[in-house]
Amino acid sequence: MTRVVITGMGCVSGLGQGVEPTWEAAIRGETGVRHLKRTFQENYAYEGPAAYVEKLDTSAVEARFGAKALSHLDPVSVFASVASFEAMEQAGLIGHPSLEDRTAILYGVGSGGNTTIEESMHRLFDKKATTLHPLSIPKYMNSAAPSQLSLLFGVKGLVYNIASACASSAHAIAEGMHLIRAGRADVVLVGGGEASITYAGWAGWKAVRAMSSTACRPFSIGRDGMILGEGAASLVLESEAHASARGAAILGEVTGAGASSDAFHITQPQGEGAVKAIRFALEDAGLSAETPVLISAHGTGTELNDKTEAQALNTVYGAHMAHNLVIATKAAHGHLFGGAGAIEFILGVLAIQRGIAPPLLNYLGPDPECDVPLPVGESRAIDYQALVSNSFAFGGLNSVLVAKKV
Amino acid sequence: MATITPDEILDLVSTEVPIDRAKLDASATLDSLDIASLDIISVMFALEDKYGISLEQEDMQGVSTLDDFIKVVMAKAGQG
Repeated sequence: MTRVVITGMGCVSGLGQGVEPTWEAAIRGETGVRHLKRTFQENYAYEGPAAYVEKLDTSAVEARFGAKALSHLDPVSVFASVASFEAMEQAGLIGHPSLEDRTAILYGVGSGGNTTIEESMHRLFDKKATTLHPLSIPKYMNSAAPSQLSLLFGVKGLVYNIASACASSAHAIAEGMHLIRAGRADVVLVGGGEASITYAGWAGWKAVRAMSSTACRPFSIGRDGMILGEGAASLVLESEAHASARGAAILGEVTGAGASSDAFHITQPQGEGAVKAIRFALEDAGLSAETPVLISAHGTGTELNDKTEAQALNTVYGAHMAHNLVIATKAAHGHLFGGAGAIEFILGVLAIQRGIAPPLLNYLGPDPECDVPLPVGESRAIDYQALVSNSFAFGGLNSVLVAKKV
Repeated sequence: MATITPDEILDLVSTEVPIDRAKLDASATLDSLDIASLDIISVMFALEDKYGISLEQEDMQGVSTLDDFIKVVMAKAGQG
């Protein structure tokens, strides 16, 4: 089977901009969560802890593609561009001839351009305007980010957006791997992002009662919800033959993916679907439950997700779970929704490659229903040959990725 | 309707296009500054949002330079 390798990675989130600063912050146990106090259009105030992007440096993209490269874009497309530029530059693919037809982009934005949607609605309903900016729809359509990426990098192969809520970018990585395995592309830019820390986004998550008012505490006793994050994360996947032929540095290998749907409830997770997705992914990667792995958990810090995820892991691994370690980095970078699977996969790949697990933050003590090995408080030296990265989305859409140390 | 100055119009053009404020020579044509019709539409929306000055597409007929554009905006604002 065609081997699928990683030749570029990029990310931006409340934890930092760029893979190296993000990794360093994660290892030091820093958090990107700060107190947010914001007012939309003078009348709509919202406030609480969030991992928001305070300052974004777009100069590298503008220096390469011109001052107007990122104008007239929703923030989600700007995040996607910045993260993807970093990944494509690291891969040495900007301006490369193989971008013509044998390169694809699969990007995972869950809910489109929220800022643009809310500004447009404000204009129509609050200000009673009768016209909208002609770029409203091109800015807020779900596929705006991958379209923008294709324009920026000149990618002329298959390009589309995958929207599966919190699993969007994990699904994008999985499908990117399958495209290369099937011989339909040599290179696939994958990843995802979200920019939904907006007035309506905030109100919506509050209404679901999924947001913590203090901190995200994955697998901890006393956990009470997630913390909103924003940003994007991108990876360049490439067939090993294509990467080797052009002498690209190989940063990791994607060896398996598994997916399932709970067909159970629109918000509540069900363990059976998670168990299936993990087992399918292990089987695809040729791993058994005996192989010790680092697990990058979905770990939202909600009561139900973490309990269900811990039970699913214990069902799959049984007594072997003691040899595994579970990292859960949403406590540091917040929940990136569309981008969550990709940023967590990147941190997981770096962890197995570099032999260090980022610490679990905000842990108050063990919950007997979440009995999994956790690197509480401090980063830890590890020696795993494989990573299992979980994404379990609203609506019961599960995507699990497996990577191998190279 | 709020009052507006030519400088404020140029500030809006600089932010909305976006383009370096120092490059905005009023005698330059929009084409030579690489300001496209979509960019001007963004400036028109900002004018309406921030100053309550509503321009229509027809108002742009015959506008070639930044100076032309400033004159149209000032006339609409009743200051021309």
